[in-house]
Amino acid sequence: MLHKKQIPAEALEQEKPESELHAIWESLRGNKTAMFGMVIVILLVIVALVTFFAEVLGVQILPYDPNETDMTASFVKPCAQHWFGTDELGRDIFSRILDGTKISLFVGFAVVIFSLFFGIIFGAVAGYKGGVVDTVIMRIMDIMLSIPGILFAITLMAALGKGLDKAIVAIGIVAIPEYARIVRGSVLSAKESDYTQAARVIGNGDLRIMFRHILPNIISPIIVRATLGISGAILDTAALGFLGLGVQPPLAEWGDMLGRAKGYIFAAPYTLVFPGLAITLVVLAFNLFGDGLSDALDPKSRKR
Amino acid sequence: MKKRVLALLLVGALSASLLMGCGGSGKQEAAPETEQGTTEEGEEAPADAEEAGEAGGAGSDTLTFGQAADPRSLDPAFADDGESTKINTNMYEGLVRYADKSTEIQPSLAESWEVSEDGLTYTFHLRQGVKFHDGTDFNAEAVKYNFDRQLPGNATEDMPYAGFVFAAVTEVIAEDDYTVVIKLSEAQTPFLANLAMIQGSPIVSPAALEANNGNVTNSPCGTGPYKFVSWDTNQAVVLERFEDYWGEPAKIKNLIFRIIPDNSARVIALNNGEVDVIDGIDAMVVDQISQAGNTVQTDEAMMTNYMAFNTTEGACTDVEVRRAICQSLNIPEMVQTLYQGYDQPATTFLPTSLPGYDSTIAPPAYDPEAAQAVLSEKGVTSLHIITYSVARPYNTVGGQKLAEAVQGYLSKVGVECTIDAYDWTTFKEKAQTDTYDLLFAGWGGDNGDPDNFLNLLATDDISMNYSHFSNEEYNQLIADGLVTPVGDERSAIYTECEKIIADQVPILPISHSNFMCGVSPRVNGFFYHVAQATKFAAVTKN
Repeated sequence: MLHKKQIPAEALEQEKPESELHAIWESLRGNKTAMFGMVIVILLVIVALVTFFAEVLGVQILPYDPNETDMTASFVKPCAQHWFGTDELGRDIFSRILDGTKISLFVGFAVVIFSLFFGIIFGAVAGYKGGVVDTVIMRIMDIMLSIPGILFAITLMAALGKGLDKAIVAIGIVAIPEYARIVRGSVLSAKESDYTQAARVIGNGDLRIMFRHILPNIISPIIVRATLGISGAILDTAALGFLGLGVQPPLAEWGDMLGRAKGYIFAAPYTLVFPGLAITLVVLAFNLFGDGLSDALDPKSRKR
Repeated sequence: MKKRVLALLLVGALSASLLMGCGGSGKQEAAPETEQGTTEEGEEAPADAEEAGEAGGAGSDTLTFGQAADPRSLDPAFADDGESTKINTNMYEGLVRYADKSTEIQPSLAESWEVSEDGLTYTFHLRQGVKFHDGTDFNAEAVKYNFDRQLPGNATEDMPYAGFVFAAVTEVIAEDDYTVVIKLSEAQTPFLANLAMIQGSPIVSPAALEANNGNVTNSPCGTGPYKFVSWDTNQAVVLERFEDYWGEPAKIKNLIFRIIPDNSARVIALNNGEVDVIDGIDAMVVDQISQAGNTVQTDEAMMTNYMAFNTTEGACTDVEVRRAICQSLNIPEMVQTLYQGYDQPATTFLPTSLPGYDSTIAPPAYDPEAAQAVLSEKGVTSLHIITYSVARPYNTVGGQKLAEAVQGYLSKVGVECTIDAYDWTTFKEKAQTDTYDLLFAGWGGDNGDPDNFLNLLATDDISMNYSHFSNEEYNQLIADGLVTPVGDERSAIYTECEKIIADQVPILPISHSNFMCGVSPRVNGFFYHVAQATKFAAVTKN
């Protein structure tokens, strides 16, 4: 940690920032698993964007309407018409999984943005101010951390009620302490650094120092954590959906699909396997990409 | 030192329970003699012995029944659901009871009875020498005590059957120790049949009622062949043979009702031999059960799975909207898909076997175009559905799936639905406290009388009348039906009621189901009574 903050500072002095980005890219490109993760992530984002805009524009690009039931075609085994088969209400599982991509990615990004926003504020204030403020904020975070995450989220969902928006808030709140701790730790070391001292000597205000000078220099661990956080958030949403707490039916949320299909594990395994595979793929992709990014952003482990 | 002893004990208990668990599953294939070794270890840890019993470890003297939900109450005066009935019927008895395979009335705690010519006075001659599980004697005072607590004025709101059974009772007189006279304010044709129900009328020990502030749900005490041992909420209800039972004692010593909410988990428990009988199975698991060597038993039932419209609040107060919603649903197609032919699509609230059933009566038929026209004209775009999440005997796929199927049909006619699904107990509460447009429910007949079904829509009790339906003509017909003697005239009254239902559609009948149970081949003599009762006293296991 201590060394990390100095590299960008030096880099700033010596070269233009592009070369830093370039070095990161070079390192990423050399990492095959990370590239695999990134390609999958990009593909998924494209799928999500396309289905989203198609829905907004009212164009049907999925083979079937993901929410339309067809009681005469329930439990169709995977075939040419229904690649992944149909569920108990005759909905096409392939369309539902594609449609579910945008839900899962949206939740993943929304949760991370939500918790990142509050996490950065709490962490930065605690780390920068220190003293009583630090103690109060961080002890509250510790209290939140002491409750198992998914349990905390379930409790929140039970209180807030069903719905995707509520799931985002519930999972987001649970994730705040992790970000707050990372940010606080980085701010603590950065605030004693020369450039912070210099900024203070010139007469910059606290806010400006915090967000203009310190934050850009501690961004790499945050980015890494956020990338991994997306997969965590997707997994948590799926878990809530599996428990029947996540989304309002008929929304095609993967965990919800998995949860309702578990009764058919022997009679119609395809209703269960494909949503499961989809969750696995997304989580794996984000984790691989996140790991690669973590290596690439860390100058010590970066391959040159 | 103490700590160490405690730890050692815990380790011992744990390993004992582990051993017993293994012994249990092994026994399913091995000869029953192998039990001997494990029961000895059980003495060290009696608590674990019980657990292992629940896991089906014990041999032919323990029978485990897997059901989807906790009973609502183990005090018959406070129970109205099948989950409670299945348990209570083994612990409690009424003055009269049904024959094994029909709703014919037979003597039980009363050996004989006379009904006065005007139908207003019932005289019961009670069986002598009957003891309650707590050792107290059963006598006329006990009957009076039980009925008095449910008479109009004494009954509390949470006694769902008090009004149904006792509304017309004016006085209960204990003439002598073994003679009870019941006076009614008006003749009631189904009164005897109502007294044979497991809800409301069974006799609870007055001493136990005194000791438990008038509600024995936590320490049930009746006269039945099984007595209460324990109730671990959402886990299991454990019963044990009552040795001083007046009749033929129960064949199997321990009777356990295990709560397994998940359908597939219940099937796996049966196939593993953890439980011996399960109910609430759906068509999807029939193959799975028979492949494991168990049998799927289908017993005739009188049950109706229906959807209630809220007729006092929201969009469904308009009868046109209710009819349009009926038209938007293709009931035969939906029932065929959900229940795969094991249940029949329903057109009337009355099951087909009850007097008054008329096959020509049906709610508005499937016509999505007409439905869409009406619904869009009325501006109905969203509806709120309340349903239950678990499987019920009348709806084996569970209320959530049924609600989603309906949601699918309604979205095709431009109506979006939000669904709130709750576990059974919460559902019953929410049905009374929350607002809703549509609600899924079902009714299993208790006594083979059409009044038992159709009365639901005439009562003010919103825990029964989910539609909050109130129709004077209908209520008058129900009142007439109560005093009319059994026969064509009475049946015609109920046919008339059905016509009102089909016209006003306070409810939409969806399906008539049968009792589907998965039964282990080791169990003999199990059957599901039409009145949702599972009597285990005569069941054997080898």
